[in-house]
Amino acid sequence: MNNRWRPLNFLRPAGDPNLARIKRRKALLSLIARRVSILKVALFIAGYVWMLAIPSSQLDRGVFIDENALQPGQVNTYWNWQQVHDADHFLSQLEFLRDSNATSEQRSQFIMNQFVKIGLSASTQDYEFTGVHKGVNGTNAYAMLSSPRVSGAEAMVISASWLSRTNEGDGTLNLRGVATVLAFSKFVKQYSLWARDLIFVISDGYMDGMQAWLSAYHGETQSNLRAQRLDLTSGVIFTAFNIDYPGHSLSHLGIFHEGVNGRLPNQDLINSFQHIARRTGVPVVLYDHKDEPEQLSWLPEAIRNHHEIKTYAAQARNLWRNVGYQASGRGSGVHGLFHKYRIDAFTMFALPATGPHGFYSLGRIIESTLRTTNNLLERLHASFFFYVMTNFDRFLKIGNYLPSAILISVAMMFGGLQVWVDAAWTKRQSEESKGPEPALMIWARRRRPVLQALFIMIGTHFFGAVTFFLLSSRWYNSISIGPLLLFPVTSLLPLVVPSFIPQNRSDSVAPLSLVLKAFNLCLSSTVISIITVLNFSLAACLAVALGIPLSADSLSSNKAVQMVKYSAYLGLGIGWILWGDMTKRMLWNWDVLGVWLLPFLCVVYFPLTLQAALVCII
Amino acid sequence: MLRTGFFVIFLLLSSVLCLEDTVEEFQEQLSFKSLRDGRVASTFSFKTLLKDATPRDPQTLALDNDDSQHYTLFPLTLGQILRQYAITELHLTLNAGKWNYDSWGYPDEPGVGVGAELWAWMADGSSLSIDERWQGVRNALAGLFCASLGSLDEQRTTSPRLSFPPEGSLPDWGLPHELRHASHASEHVCTENLTPFLKLLPCKSLSGLAALLNPHRLFDADWHGMSLHVLWRPVGIEMRLNFQLVSDPLRISTNKKQDWSFASLFDRVVEKACPVAKSSRVIVDLPTYGVYRVHPEPSEILNGKAYYDLTNSNQVWDIGTMWPVDFEYPLSKPTEALLPFSVRRSLFGSTQDRGQLSIVVTNNQNETLQMLYLETMPWIVQFYLHTIRVHSDDIPSDNLVSNITYVLPVPHARPATFESVLTLPGHSTLTFTMDVAKTFLRYTEHPPDAQRGWDLPPAFLHPSYSHRTDLPTTLVASIHHPYLLI
Repeated sequence: MNNRWRPLNFLRPAGDPNLARIKRRKALLSLIARRVSILKVALFIAGYVWMLAIPSSQLDRGVFIDENALQPGQVNTYWNWQQVHDADHFLSQLEFLRDSNATSEQRSQFIMNQFVKIGLSASTQDYEFTGVHKGVNGTNAYAMLSSPRVSGAEAMVISASWLSRTNEGDGTLNLRGVATVLAFSKFVKQYSLWARDLIFVISDGYMDGMQAWLSAYHGETQSNLRAQRLDLTSGVIFTAFNIDYPGHSLSHLGIFHEGVNGRLPNQDLINSFQHIARRTGVPVVLYDHKDEPEQLSWLPEAIRNHHEIKTYAAQARNLWRNVGYQASGRGSGVHGLFHKYRIDAFTMFALPATGPHGFYSLGRIIESTLRTTNNLLERLHASFFFYVMTNFDRFLKIGNYLPSAILISVAMMFGGLQVWVDAAWTKRQSEESKGPEPALMIWARRRRPVLQALFIMIGTHFFGAVTFFLLSSRWYNSISIGPLLLFPVTSLLPLVVPSFIPQNRSDSVAPLSLVLKAFNLCLSSTVISIITVLNFSLAACLAVALGIPLSADSLSSNKAVQMVKYSAYLGLGIGWILWGDMTKRMLWNWDVLGVWLLPFLCVVYFPLTLQAALVCII
Repeated sequence: MLRTGFFVIFLLLSSVLCLEDTVEEFQEQLSFKSLRDGRVASTFSFKTLLKDATPRDPQTLALDNDDSQHYTLFPLTLGQILRQYAITELHLTLNAGKWNYDSWGYPDEPGVGVGAELWAWMADGSSLSIDERWQGVRNALAGLFCASLGSLDEQRTTSPRLSFPPEGSLPDWGLPHELRHASHASEHVCTENLTPFLKLLPCKSLSGLAALLNPHRLFDADWHGMSLHVLWRPVGIEMRLNFQLVSDPLRISTNKKQDWSFASLFDRVVEKACPVAKSSRVIVDLPTYGVYRVHPEPSEILNGKAYYDLTNSNQVWDIGTMWPVDFEYPLSKPTEALLPFSVRRSLFGSTQDRGQLSIVVTNNQNETLQMLYLETMPWIVQFYLHTIRVHSDDIPSDNLVSNITYVLPVPHARPATFESVLTLPGHSTLTFTMDVAKTFLRYTEHPPDAQRGWDLPPAFLHPSYSHRTDLPTTLVASIHHPYLLI
């Protein structure tokens, strides 16, 4: 072959091409290896800056409807003052029930009877949680409309919980939400245009009732839940709306969409809703943020009123709420429980106000949104499942937010690999040196105690599992000083680890702390990058909590410094246990709703910090 | 000349009429029943009897010398299909909606499974195998009824042992008869199926009771279905065309009354009778509750039913029932159940690989009830028979399921057939559960609209009564199987 005729000849130097390739690779690797410390810092800075930039209006974009079948807002709505009258009528009856202190059973019986009078098949479901949360029980009422001509293979749910989501179910009643569902069920029965069955659920309590209903509907068993079998069933549920209307009237409609364990509904559903609501004339907000954020008062006026800054502040507040709901895994409302069964759901929250909107607008919006999802031939599958909403009409695509956490995770991985490589080498005097000249320092390989490090890691995770077991035990929850007992135990017990480790500080074996640190960083990096796609908010929190701290740990010779570092890491890792209320809520979420946060903290997060703490003392 | 012409025409007409009287008979009937939940069930039944005719002996298929077919009332298009493939008995149903047994009771026509269902009895022993003829009749009927019956292929076809006995008789040719059954739940029934249905009637929808078949109203009904049954009895070949619907007068009218009439249900009235109908009757099941008025005055009332004879009448008929008071949905469950038992069938599990099939049957009577339970599934759903669990009132009682026959599915080729007998003690609830696996599908094997999933065929339950033979015996329960491509 004539070399002259090959294109890009200058890229192919003469000689053995394989040899050249190996050389090239080596050169590239050493280039990275020599600069890995700078690279690490650069990645950390890039990651954190990117994270801070997520709320800015430069990264997000406007929402759009991806699924052509949805056609939101293209129908004439028929909900009218007659239906508002019905809703008012139901409301007055519900208020009577409230004033007469009706029990769960009486309430659900009443609601069921209303459904039956409307002509729907209706039933009730008793449920009771056993175990740690023994007192949680209630009765759900639900009804099904077998739509004309439909096989009953698919269904849509319209639900309202008895307690509103105001302050996470603080006891505010969702009477108007329930009245809306009742009036709506009466209204839809007049039409033959529904393409699938409609299910109306009035769940008792805040989250617990719906958890029991959905578990029974899908035939799932939960060991601590005794739920009555459902008398009525329909097909696969495609979409669900939860209606929350705690006030007298409403000024805005708020969107709550985060599900338990960080799941999100298909964005098309939210987009259709906000499109319809705004066309109907009701302003839409994300969450319940209708006013501008006030925290910026310390800024000079000129900066404070800058458009970009204002947007940033407002979107940062939304994002903060999003992180709070998603990272904690508790979801932002009753709709979150549906996501577990791949049902796209969200809550429309009527922001309490003295006006100007009420049943009339809300009914029209629900009707039109239901008609939109009724158009669907398939489950929602276009549009986005991975997104971050910064406002009701702005969102970030996955490519614009995911890299922030990934960059930090990559920096940690580089750090871990660097420590791993460093652990294999030591400088020592050359034995071959003879004569009076100072001994030549050469790099020598040394053994790395992999098994020991792995045992310590497995041990820490096991220790975390035991902590979780204790935390969720009935004994722990029955005594009030539980946290004060458990915290010292969990923080002092690991101090015995160094005494088990053989102290052979020979030159031929790398220090255990280095290997442990390397593994710890690599594992944390892997955990973070996996979690990014499952629950981005949680991954971002982990990246912030673990990124720099875990990279900065090191063994120090001073015992006092060792102990300070150790306690700092443990404070980071298990300090939350001292907030008894928070632990209680996490435990409730885990026990009743199956939220993974508490086991995750105990079995994954705490051991990772514990490993870092051990790096400081062994 | 003119007189001779008239005479010839008279002769022709009379010969035709004579022929009809002796060889072919057409009867039409329409029955109404007011249901407990305010709805009205109506059943059109058009019966054509081909006297002294027999189905084609499949042995003659090879000879290609079939009798010539001259029909006056019987539809030639259908006759040709039946003889071409030597079909002894044929049942085709096209339905939309879910029949609510608990508040509507038994349907007049037992086949109420959603979508298309076709089953036929054929004799073996011809040059063409049964499966070849089954394929032929499927495709021919698909063309005749504009329905996707062609997709009832071998992946959906089963031959259950006991569940579908022939309704008529099987001719004694000394040949074994075999059954082929297939159903297609996602078939949508609409007006393109009604037009060919009407074409099979001698008076089309021009006169007689068929004039009421107004597609706008039929396909707005809560439940509607059409069916074709061809069977042989020693007296001759009988063909029944049925249209069944359940309408909701409370939805279509503005007032809150259960009132119905031809005009309100169908937006049409019967203006003239079908001249070739030997009989034309309307039967109104008189409700046992409330005060009401049936109009016009029926010609006969017998056993709680009002009969109207519309044969050869030139009157305008608008039969109906009127209630003076508004309808109210009954708050409490009725003391006496409409059916001796009720069924609920579901497929649990929201994961992509596993699920649990569950059937809950409640026996509403004192006597022990035995029922034949037939489950057919495409190969995409695989049964784990060892996981069958039977609970009677939450007490494990695996002995209540017996006589299990199971035909294994063959991937990409054959569905599974599961037949068994369930025994229900009086006033008990039996829960039958079985784990299923959802097969991994090849990319091209997903149905169109893959994100919707599959419609699974209904199950069939046939109670075996020792003392009552008057009740139709099939009960169907359908489910949907979301199997999604991610």
